[in-house]
Amino acid sequence: MMELINHLILGFGVALTPINLLYCLFGVSIGTLIGVLPGIGPLATIAMLLPLTFNVPAVSALIMLAGIYYGAMYGGSTTSILVNIPGEAASVVTCLDGYQMARQGRAGPALAIAALGSFFAGCVATVIIALFAPPLAEVALKFGPAEYFSLMVLGLVSAAVLAHGSLLKAIAMILLGLLLGLVGTDVNSRVRRFTFGIPDLFDGISFVVIAMGLFAFAEVITNLERKGKRVVLTDVQTLLPTRADLKASWKAVVRGTGLGSLLGILPGGGAIISSFASYTLEKRLAADPSRFGKGAIEGVAGPESANNAGAQSSFIPMLTLGIPSNAVMAVMLGAMMIQGIIPGPQVMTERPHLFWGLIASMWVGNLMLVVINLPLIGIWIRLLTVPYRLLYPAILLFCCIGAYSLSNSSFEVALTAGFGLLGYIFAKLDCEPAPLLLGFILGPMMEEYLLRAMRLSRGDPTVFFTRPISLAMLVAVAFLILMIIAPAVRRKRKEVFHE
Amino acid sequence: MGIKIRSPKDFYSGLVFILFGVLAIALSRDYPMGSAMRMGPGYFPSILGGLLILLGFVIAGRALFVGAEGIKGGAVRPLLMVLGAVVAFAFMVQPLGLVLATLALVVISCLGGLEFHVYEVGLLYLLLTALAVGLFIYGVGLPIKVWPV
Amino acid sequence: MNRLPDVAVIFSRFKPILSRRRCLVNMKLVLRLASMVLAAVVLTSAAGDALAQTYPTKYIRVFVPAPAGGGTDILARIIGQKFTEKWGQQVVIENRGGASGTIAAEMAAKSAPDGYNLFMLYSGILTINPSLLKKLPYDPIKDFTPVAIFVQVPNILVVHPSVPAKSVKELIALAKSKPGQLNCASSGIGVSNYMCMELFKSMTGVDWVHIPYKGGAPAMIDLLGGQVQVMFNNLVELVPHIKAGKLRALAVATPKRISAMPDLPTIAEAGVPGYENLLWYGMVAPAGTPKEIINKLSAEILKIQQMPDVKERLNTMGAEPIDFTPEQMDAYIKAEMAKWAKVIKEAGIQPE
Repeated sequence: MMELINHLILGFGVALTPINLLYCLFGVSIGTLIGVLPGIGPLATIAMLLPLTFNVPAVSALIMLAGIYYGAMYGGSTTSILVNIPGEAASVVTCLDGYQMARQGRAGPALAIAALGSFFAGCVATVIIALFAPPLAEVALKFGPAEYFSLMVLGLVSAAVLAHGSLLKAIAMILLGLLLGLVGTDVNSRVRRFTFGIPDLFDGISFVVIAMGLFAFAEVITNLERKGKRVVLTDVQTLLPTRADLKASWKAVVRGTGLGSLLGILPGGGAIISSFASYTLEKRLAADPSRFGKGAIEGVAGPESANNAGAQSSFIPMLTLGIPSNAVMAVMLGAMMIQGIIPGPQVMTERPHLFWGLIASMWVGNLMLVVINLPLIGIWIRLLTVPYRLLYPAILLFCCIGAYSLSNSSFEVALTAGFGLLGYIFAKLDCEPAPLLLGFILGPMMEEYLLRAMRLSRGDPTVFFTRPISLAMLVAVAFLILMIIAPAVRRKRKEVFHE
Repeated sequence: MGIKIRSPKDFYSGLVFILFGVLAIALSRDYPMGSAMRMGPGYFPSILGGLLILLGFVIAGRALFVGAEGIKGGAVRPLLMVLGAVVAFAFMVQPLGLVLATLALVVISCLGGLEFHVYEVGLLYLLLTALAVGLFIYGVGLPIKVWPV
Repeated sequence: MNRLPDVAVIFSRFKPILSRRRCLVNMKLVLRLASMVLAAVVLTSAAGDALAQTYPTKYIRVFVPAPAGGGTDILARIIGQKFTEKWGQQVVIENRGGASGTIAAEMAAKSAPDGYNLFMLYSGILTINPSLLKKLPYDPIKDFTPVAIFVQVPNILVVHPSVPAKSVKELIALAKSKPGQLNCASSGIGVSNYMCMELFKSMTGVDWVHIPYKGGAPAMIDLLGGQVQVMFNNLVELVPHIKAGKLRALAVATPKRISAMPDLPTIAEAGVPGYENLLWYGMVAPAGTPKEIINKLSAEILKIQQMPDVKERLNTMGAEPIDFTPEQMDAYIKAEMAKWAKVIKEAGIQPE
């Protein structure tokens, strides 16, 4: 314990120097801006800013880059709530209830709860990293391909639960999402699937393209059809969450934080499903699950906390093992190597300034983000009062530039329009896009893990059931499926009984 | 045929799913299937396609008996204009630069709205272009062409 | 066009002038054309020099066959940063990882050879892919002109501590006694460490199952977790874990011992005589890029290699600079291609 306090004192000593505070502020501000702008994500930004870090001391560089990463999480929830555009995988779930809350005039409380929940999650996750980083990393290593596959299956089933409409259609949308995820060059066989010879598709369809098309463009078109009437209340009171809101959300925040922290340490992609796992959990535990999808604040509080906790704890494998959990972490590793630091278990002991300084700065950064974001809510609300006929061209423009910036490809922007059309059709047919997006994210990973698990087990499918962790997750899947079917079965039986 | 489609939404959803499923299986036939231990690239998509077709039939089938809502009519103009604006931007930004592509985007998309006041659209365009150039080109530093040359 | 009379004089001295009038006219025409061509060549090379002098005037795009943060990417960014410092133009890195680098290679090959499109690659893309992959969407010789080799990086053979083998010989014996049971990871088919493994397999006859991964990081996860037991990988990704005792290093794949780990024998010394595998990273440009620009880039890269801060970074990465001129690099690539073609054929590795 004493050791921990010493470490933290050291860390704060590093993080609170004026220069590092400045870098932190710079990082989180840029991160927030990037998160708000659709299409441009933290990965592209960090990669672009990498050269700037060459001549900057290592700690400061990492503090800034880390700030960009979790700052983007905060900013991403803003766009999800205000205009229904998910910046990245983690923000998809926030769109579901967050945007509905905005349409009911409750954008203020939604944004506030997202910020506060994220802050709580960030603080807790920082403590967890400080206390448990090495042992958690060891646990993370116990997850092999079979475990990851079962985890993804669990994630997929959660995606089905997300739907508030027809379950069958949600499942079909998931399947379609899985298929779309397979477009591109197959890792194992190097065969190009569904690419029709178009080079921009060789690497697969970009998440941003699908998200923008299905969510943003479809939304704009349907809004215009509806003669552009959107209800927006600008009462000052509704800028802040009510006591009832806070009371309803705090449990979701705690649960989300726990879930996100646990899932975030899995380097193979656990953090991605943390937000939808949280949403599923909240929906299952809620007294009235039918509120979800229509603006239930738990549906924002839980997932937002989960994804921020996940973002912070995904630093653990990187800092303790030198293994990146996702593309952003990989770039951070690159940044460390450029600085001449070899990432790995020895960083904690050989460079305590760096390690603890970074951890302390995460806490500082989260604080800065809350301080920055809360007042911004007022500005965002005011932005919503702009007449829609002036707002939507701006949305379209920002989305187009964002989509184009991915790889300077006109094709990708046109493809986004294609998905806009598809999204419009789905909206008319009452098919929800969120499960499709989740299937899209999980599909390629699932296939990869399935193939690898089978290869390691030499073709033996029982491996998913013989390995304890994998088995535990599949049991959870079965349980979840039962819970989904049970109410329907009960209803059927009631009908039969009445007849 | 005389069969009343109770829920057009679900019925056509089912059809869309069947269509995608068929497409998936048809395209997958070009890829090697492999065996259970060494799954080829065509394995997974075919399974998914098959499941999709199955579900599509179930959903469409149910739609013949359950449900009552019709599909709300859609106005064609917003759809065409919004998508047209995006496509115009897509193909104009590389040869002609950001400023002109934005012009096309703003004008065409505004044509999809309820009202079109030239001055308002013009002002909006100028504002958005200034904002975009300032934010993306100077601020973020994206390598996008601004002017045609 | 002052040259015309001189050229005419020279030509008239060496070639007999035909008496017939038509031929005289033709001859004059030919001479005139020849002079124009000569003048054009002279003017173009002057323009070329001028072009190289003003190059670059806009942003430079560098294709990288790895995701951001990967080895090739970091090196590309180091070079890009130094280019920007020297010439003031932005360097945009286009990450196109996956598919053994063929995606990036194809895009680079098809890009405009105006000097503003470059390709940072690792050796395998040029020297190994042609013999390993059946349908290559690019031609390593015809589509690219070499610019410079930046560094070479050693590969190391490691095993998970649970494997009861403390040397290469013991590993071979173990693998032979348990055919088809050990798992060996690679960062992808065609990647340098995959070639290390295949070469080792063919030279020793061990029978282990190859598990491909999409990049080094996922492979490391499973290696550290013990899901796979053996791997060849580059120094940078392995060093921290070797030092922490999480992995056991058996030997290096380079022809000579490396200075970062002098106690580690080479695989050739440790039981597989004749084994060697060198991984290098370098830059090429699409074929047709003006020679002046290539020379300018090459000279700059050589300078970058010598800069103290770059040298320091390269050292931590275990990367050693190599200074070849573009011509030397061209010859080297061709030699390596031939060598690997032979190795792959003799090893009986089937093109995929």
